[in-house]
Amino acid sequence: MLFTLPAMIPFVVFWLAPLLYVFYLSFTEWDFMSPEKTFVGLTNYVDLFSNPAFYKALRVTVLFCAGSVLPVIMIGLGLALLMNSKLKGAALYQVLLFSPWVTPTVAVSIVWSWIYEPDVGLANTVLSFLGLAEIGWLHDPKWALVGVLIVTIWKSVGWAMIFYLVALRNVPTDLLEAAGLDGASPFYKFIRITLPLISPTTLFLFIVQIIGALQAYDQINVLTQGGPSGSTRTLLYMYYQSAFESFQIGEASTVAMVLVFICMLLSVVSLGVSKRTTHYQ
Amino acid sequence: MSTIVVIGRLSRHLFFAVIALLMAFPFYWMVTSALKTNDEIWQSPPTLWPKVPLWGNFAEAWHEAPFFRYMGNSIFVAVSIVLLQIINSGMMAYALTHMKFRLKGLFAGVIMFGYMVPATAVYLPGYLVLSELHLLDSYAGLILSNCVSVFSIFLIRQAFLQVPHEMVEAGEVDGSSHLRILWTIIVPITRSSFAVLALITFIDQYNNYFWPMLITKDPNLQLVSAGLRSFFVEGGAYGLKWPLIMAASAFTIAPLLLVFLLAQKTIMGSVNMTAGSSKG
Repeated sequence: MLFTLPAMIPFVVFWLAPLLYVFYLSFTEWDFMSPEKTFVGLTNYVDLFSNPAFYKALRVTVLFCAGSVLPVIMIGLGLALLMNSKLKGAALYQVLLFSPWVTPTVAVSIVWSWIYEPDVGLANTVLSFLGLAEIGWLHDPKWALVGVLIVTIWKSVGWAMIFYLVALRNVPTDLLEAAGLDGASPFYKFIRITLPLISPTTLFLFIVQIIGALQAYDQINVLTQGGPSGSTRTLLYMYYQSAFESFQIGEASTVAMVLVFICMLLSVVSLGVSKRTTHYQ
Repeated sequence: MSTIVVIGRLSRHLFFAVIALLMAFPFYWMVTSALKTNDEIWQSPPTLWPKVPLWGNFAEAWHEAPFFRYMGNSIFVAVSIVLLQIINSGMMAYALTHMKFRLKGLFAGVIMFGYMVPATAVYLPGYLVLSELHLLDSYAGLILSNCVSVFSIFLIRQAFLQVPHEMVEAGEVDGSSHLRILWTIIVPITRSSFAVLALITFIDQYNNYFWPMLITKDPNLQLVSAGLRSFFVEGGAYGLKWPLIMAASAFTIAPLLLVFLLAQKTIMGSVNMTAGSSKG
């Protein structure tokens, strides 16, 4: 029992208590300054769910999650499949592809904001070299989210690839060979044998990536600060802005509870899915 | 047949070489941009390598803002957190795997629950809690508020589950205390998991930006990401001193790439353990 205290005390103080606190705050109105917190019941929730800004942020969040998680998983798997069979120098490629993942998001986002510079930035130079129209990137509401997504995907594909390489190595080769003798095409083998066997990894990456995407802050803060005109303002960014810029603690806490709810829902669903459908050997 | 194999292999090499170059190119671009003059960096089309590389830009950027201090802060805070997490994750995991006590189920459940809650969602109340404890703007606040990690506990617990319980019992028969059993018997066998914990936590904490930025206003306490960001925004920068900004980004990133190159096997191998620990 004593052994648990070094972990449990900070856990309760910095994690559990704040969670209960934010739950309470979501039923109050407060501006950080005044001594009184007014209890307002469900008003914050009603206000939030009738606030167009909330739905816009929700839409951006869904786009951001889908737009980062799906490419990371698909590209990661594709690269891993290509690298899986013997390839000399694979270790070098792995190091290069994985390296963005260890670097600080703030620093690499700053580098990317220079790449996205509209006049002489690398991105537009490449576009005009290819004969394509130049893009306003982070200044254009249509493209800003794409710009943020590219950085996010760039940072994680190598990481996802390594997960898949490990998973693919654990697929028993005799199973694939037996199917090959039975005349199964490589595509059929992939769909029917490989994909089901690596599904625990897919599920894991999916959940971790979505929870990560829901909490993405650093690259948005450096690249666009939620703009232009809210086109990259996710729920988390909205939470941050209402808490620490406009000091609407009630609204912020309510957004926080929505985020908590989404994450818990995802975790519960993933537990259910993994019990039901993933194929363990 | 063999020509097809050779062509296949060559095209795969070509493919990965191109992809790897693309992925690494932002780093190259950062370095070459850091070496240009302000005039040259605004040239169109851009040059791949500056006519006269200005290596002095690195020194100039280094002196323009207290980067030594920022990096020192980051390293100090990250190392302290790593040490605390090794201690408390080890003890917690030991209690969960090799000890019996009341409320064990409850504690395990609470930790599991913590796994599902997004950390960023509790930043606002966490900030208020820190301010109540007078820990805002202090190293203690930076360190203590991050000193427990559910991920680390899971990681170590997973490793401890592999250790046969007989080893603990043998230690008890010898009259060793639990602390002694933990640090002299269990930890040495599971040290590879602790190495992973240390590396991943160090990287995470060195890179940490959002939370430390919220809880520190004092520039002397800024971690390197926040310091770099304020150099980017203030320092007369924002587009005026791009070479210096690139130089500063480069020496912020460099230590991590170095750590990664030195410990790449452990860091990439950690994937096995991470995937394992999530299965509970």
